[in-house]
Amino acid sequence: MSDPELDDVSALDHVLVLAPYRSDAMFLSKMLREYDLRVVVTSGINDLVACLSEAPGVLLLTHEALTPAVLDAIAAHLADQQAWSEMPIVVLLDRGSPDGRIKAALSHAWPRSRQLFYKRPITAVELVSGVQSALLARLRQRDVRDHIFREIELRRELNHRVKNILASVTSIFEMTRRGATSMDGLAEDFRGRLGALDKVHSAVFRADGEVVSIGEIVSLTFDPYRQVGFERIAAGGPTVILSREAGTTLALCLHELSTNAIKYGALSRPEGQVAFEWSVSENEPRELSMTWLESGGPPVEEPSRAGYGTRYLRSALKGMLGRAPNITFDRGGLRCEAGGLLSRVVGNP
Amino acid sequence: MIVFHVEQMIEDLGHVFAGSFESFEALKAECEGMTFDGALIDIDLTDGRTGPLAAEWLHRRGIPSMFLTGQADVASGYGHVSLGTLSKPVGMDKLAEALELFRRKPGPDPHD
Repeated sequence: MSDPELDDVSALDHVLVLAPYRSDAMFLSKMLREYDLRVVVTSGINDLVACLSEAPGVLLLTHEALTPAVLDAIAAHLADQQAWSEMPIVVLLDRGSPDGRIKAALSHAWPRSRQLFYKRPITAVELVSGVQSALLARLRQRDVRDHIFREIELRRELNHRVKNILASVTSIFEMTRRGATSMDGLAEDFRGRLGALDKVHSAVFRADGEVVSIGEIVSLTFDPYRQVGFERIAAGGPTVILSREAGTTLALCLHELSTNAIKYGALSRPEGQVAFEWSVSENEPRELSMTWLESGGPPVEEPSRAGYGTRYLRSALKGMLGRAPNITFDRGGLRCEAGGLLSRVVGNP
Repeated sequence: MIVFHVEQMIEDLGHVFAGSFESFEALKAECEGMTFDGALIDIDLTDGRTGPLAAEWLHRRGIPSMFLTGQADVASGYGHVSLGTLSKPVGMDKLAEALELFRRKPGPDPHD
């Protein structure tokens, strides 16, 4: 957030002038308006409360305005201020007035205000620069308010995310536990799935937004395998930016497909290969299509009962794309085809 | 992942998982023609804090719902359009109770 320049008056709030004498009110408002400040004038207690509720940036009062009723109305307004607010108030005192006593009285009557005193007669330059600096102080207070609101919003969002992540981890654990046949197997699968979740989270964070590209998901999923010698995973497609949710789902799906391929599929044999390709249709509405194709592995047989991976792929890809994927256990290799409207999954950086 | 887990639990409990939507917009656009006896709804969906709107929308169509959310405090303000709130993460027992509610309780009167 940049500080507004003094000449950028459009960003400033208006000045509320409270002057019982019509000539004073006209003189002051003319003086301020000549410097492009916005001014609202009120002559007394009657519409003061309404004028204060319009949130002026600065209140400017003449000595005559300081009646007990006005003091009370302003005190009530100040008491209702939010925590960030410290209303600037400029008071024009008469020459020869006991200013020490008045200042003490006002500082007592109006706590949480930022008071500025001038003696009449006052030059335009003096008054305007005082009012402008009070308006700028008010603007900074509003910045503080915006920061506070943003922090509240961030804390709420953080709580929501943490809850969601814990729920996801619980779900992953429960689902992994169901399919597990041994403690070691459970530990390995659980670690792998959490690792996939962690990596996609980091990628979304790096992207500095709520998005991640398919290309990034492909590298974060396959690179660790490639580093340990699984160079037989070929992947390619155009740049497609996914939302955080869609990206997370895709990362977990590719993790399931990869680990399955390493354990039982094409990557369990040195000559086996995997191709993951994706494309986007030219015509509207644009569709995203993705294909996972294994070849060269051991002969594939359709399992008698769908395992965790298959059930997860079906559920997750249908939820993500709105259409169930086509998973076929071709004898030559597993094939998984998924597609749906790009608008469902696309992320807006 | 959470949806998948809930889906598996729903099926384990002998019910049918009809489908899931990530946003209120998607629900409105795509649920026509689907039949289901109840809905589990989070407070924040991908199109914002639209869970309560979704619950109200279903309520007007006579379909009961429960919130499944980490934000029970927010959900509690919408008791008039839902049967209650399940805290995330939900276990089998609580989910079973909720699904029984859908089974027993006919949807709210859409004209009330």
